[in-house]
Amino acid sequence: MCVTRAGKVVSTSQGRARVEFFDGRALDDVDVSVVNAKKGAFVEVFGNLALGLLSPAEAKRRKQAWTEVAKAVGAARD
Amino acid sequence: MKADGVLFHAKHAFMPNSLGYCGPDERGQIQRDLEGNRSDEELVQILQKFEAAYPFLKLIARSAGKEVFDYSVPEAYWIGNRLLDSVPVSDFYSFSHHEIKGRDPNKVREVFKRLDGVAPPHHTFYVMSTYATTAAPDGPNVTNEAKRKIAEVVDNCRISWGVVSNVGKDELQVLARRVNVDNGGLFLTRPAVKRVRYNSEVRPFRTVREGDVVSIHWGYACDVLTPRQAKNIARYTSVDISLVNRLMKFEASRR
Repeated sequence: MCVTRAGKVVSTSQGRARVEFFDGRALDDVDVSVVNAKKGAFVEVFGNLALGLLSPAEAKRRKQAWTEVAKAVGAARD
Repeated sequence: MKADGVLFHAKHAFMPNSLGYCGPDERGQIQRDLEGNRSDEELVQILQKFEAAYPFLKLIARSAGKEVFDYSVPEAYWIGNRLLDSVPVSDFYSFSHHEIKGRDPNKVREVFKRLDGVAPPHHTFYVMSTYATTAAPDGPNVTNEAKRKIAEVVDNCRISWGVVSNVGKDELQVLARRVNVDNGGLFLTRPAVKRVRYNSEVRPFRTVREGDVVSIHWGYACDVLTPRQAKNIARYTSVDISLVNRLMKFEASRR
C-alpha cells in the first residue's frame, strides 16, 4: 500500500522533484506540480504525487512523530 | 503461517513496492515467490517490513482472533469482509496513533472525531481518508489538470476491480469504474474500458478469461476475485467513499 510520506524537496526539474523523506528514503520522480513546490520545501507525498505543502514547524512535528513511532515499533520488535 | 494468505497479501502489495512507494526494496524476490507460488519464511519476513500494510494486518488479526496471514485477514484489509466489523474503533484509533508511521496525530484525531466512531481499517478507507485530510488544494481555483492528477493517484492507490473483457499476452482489457474528484467529493465513474498489466506466471492468471473479475493496484491485476469478493469490494468501497465524503465536506467548511 502507499503510505503518506513527508519529506524535503532537494531538487526540481519541470514539475518533478527528488524528495528525501523523513524515513531516510528518497524518490526521484515526485510530481510536485499540484502544490508548486520549490527546492527546500517540505511536502506530503502520496504515491508519487505531492498533495500538500508543510510549514517548517509542521514538518518538524511530523518528523518527530515519525521518529517516536519508529522507536516504539523498533522496541516492540526487540 | 497460512500460505494462501501470504500469497494473497503479496500479490496486492507487490506493485506499490516495485514502484518504491512502500516496503523494503525486494521487488525481485516478491515477484519470484509469486511466480513460483512460494510462501516461505523469507517472503513473510519481507512482508513484515511493510510500514503500513503489515501493522494493519496485525490489527485486524488480533481483533478477530486469527493468525496474521490467515487468508481472511489480508482479504479483509485489501478487499473487505466482515472481519473489519470486529475491529473496535477505539483499537483502530489507538493503532493509528501508535503503530502507523508518519501520520499527523492531529489529523488522525480529526478523522475519528468527524466520523462519529465509524472507521473501517480497510486499505481503501486509509487511502481516501489520507487524501481527504491532506492539504491538497481543492477549491474553485484548482485546475482540471491538478484534479485529474489527484484523482489518478487516489484511484491507483486504492484497490479497484474490473471485469475482464479481453486477455492479451501481458495486458488485460477490463471494464472498471474509476474514482473521480469533483464538487468537493469522491465518486465512482461509470464503467469504462481500461488496460492493466498482469503476470501470466502468477496463479491463477494462466487461466484468466473474459468475465473474470480482477483486483487492480497501480495498474496491475493482482488476483482473480470470487463472486463474494467482487461483491464485498464494491460494498466496502462504497462505504469508504461515503465516509470520506463526510470528511471532505467538513474540511471544505473549515477553509
